[in-house]
Amino acid sequence: MTRKHTRFEKARVIGARSLQISMGAPPLIELSKKFMDPVDIAMSEYDLGVIPISVIREE
Amino acid sequence: MAKKDTINALIRRGLEEDIATKLADADMLLGDVKAASVDELKEIVGTKKKAKEILDKVGRKKKSPSKKKSKKKKKKKEIFTIPDKFEPLKGTAKKLQEICEEKGYDLPRSILEDAAEKIDSKDIDKEDFALMIDLIHERFENRKIDPKESIGIVSAQSIGEPGTQMTMKTFHYAGVAEIGVTQGLPRMIEVVDARKVPSTPMMEVHLEDDIKKDRDMARKIASELEVTRLIDIAEVDLDMSEMKVVIKPDPKKLKSLDLEPNDIVKRLKKSRYIKGNVALQGKNVFITQEEPKYALLHNDVEQAKDTKIKGLKGVKRAVIRDTGVEHIIYTEGSNLQEVLQVKGVDITNTTCNSPVEVYDVLGVEAARNSIIKEALDTLAEQGLDVDVRHIMLVADMMTNEGDIKAIGRHGVSGKKTSVLARAAFEITSTHLLRAAIVGEIDKLDGVAENIIVGQPITQGTGAVEVKYTPKKAE
Repeated sequence: MTRKHTRFEKARVIGARSLQISMGAPPLIELSKKFMDPVDIAMSEYDLGVIPISVIREE
Repeated sequence: MAKKDTINALIRRGLEEDIATKLADADMLLGDVKAASVDELKEIVGTKKKAKEILDKVGRKKKSPSKKKSKKKKKKKEIFTIPDKFEPLKGTAKKLQEICEEKGYDLPRSILEDAAEKIDSKDIDKEDFALMIDLIHERFENRKIDPKESIGIVSAQSIGEPGTQMTMKTFHYAGVAEIGVTQGLPRMIEVVDARKVPSTPMMEVHLEDDIKKDRDMARKIASELEVTRLIDIAEVDLDMSEMKVVIKPDPKKLKSLDLEPNDIVKRLKKSRYIKGNVALQGKNVFITQEEPKYALLHNDVEQAKDTKIKGLKGVKRAVIRDTGVEHIIYTEGSNLQEVLQVKGVDITNTTCNSPVEVYDVLGVEAARNSIIKEALDTLAEQGLDVDVRHIMLVADMMTNEGDIKAIGRHGVSGKKTSVLARAAFEITSTHLLRAAIVGEIDKLDGVAENIIVGQPITQGTGAVEVKYTPKKAE
């Protein structure tokens, strides 16, 4: 699982997470007032590696 | 009449007249006699010995296949040391390879070779090699395409867009000495359509190392390739008063082609279309008919003029070009199968410009390379620079089932496994109706199917599946 995410995987994970956030899931990072867009929140969560979603790979 | 023909035909093949008459009386045609067994003939002729004699003279020639077999066996003994596919790397490249193995990098051979070449041309410390390999590896990984990327559409666009800039219709003499080659868009379509015979078939014949600088040898081999008809080397006339065909060979032309008048006789005798008796008298060749009829003689004249005396079928012209390093023979018209059997021809470098012909003679892998080469050359000729990998993808799609399929209705698109994908392409209702009658199952693996059904496609983001994995509390 050490392999880097491809750009498609990254997009999919961020997409799934931002949907959760937009529907009211509690963010996993500290928010400032500037951060109100669920996609932005999901992206910074992704960068910190705290999103509890992983990719299923056929191997 | 038919009987008479048969008798004549048999006599011409060296049978005595009474035997020939017997065979013809037994209602046998030439073909029947050829196919007959010894026992069958024995019943007609009487003795076994005579029957065998007939078969020797008339019967199917079994010699040629057995000859081929023995040749093959000999060749196997001579050649069969299979060379290693890859020579082990040498020098700097080997050092680079060792560093890669140490670091666990998987770099392709060609990159290592290129790097080694560059390193050798410059003065670089050995300590820096590891650093270089690190950089090369990083760049290489960055340039890799991601899995699930839709490379097909990228390829299509990358070939299609330059395609719009190609000249619609050109027919010019491309570099190669006065041999016209189809260029531009028509040629590209030809390659991708896997046309059986291209509109301008061509061969590039290389010579073996020891004779490739010898102009005379090149000329000799070229004359062996080029088709020479009787009319090219002799005067063919009908002598009405003597009721015979007179063929007067031109001695100069014969000499330049290394032919004897006797060769002409041999060739004419072999021809299926010439019905008269061919004989050599002095320097001239005569054809006479047993039954002097103007129509028969006239037919012989026309057929004799067209008879091939020397050369390979289909090769209209052969031109020699001296590149300074070697003599290359370019031919108009192609016959790859036979050219490879000509003595002195370098079989490893000789090619023809028809992928289908290459497939027939050398197999799919060669055909794939041929498609890549032809497509790339056509684009390059127009000054268009398309990455090989796009063309390689096209070539792979055309050849991945073991034979050449065209791009389009009759090939790749028409043979898709999914009904919906085929229906999306052309003649929708026919495909759907047929699928309904037969009860086809669509697995929805492809792109078109999923769009029709209204699902995410199986590429890019749509192909990634995710699951919830809670982070464990630390």
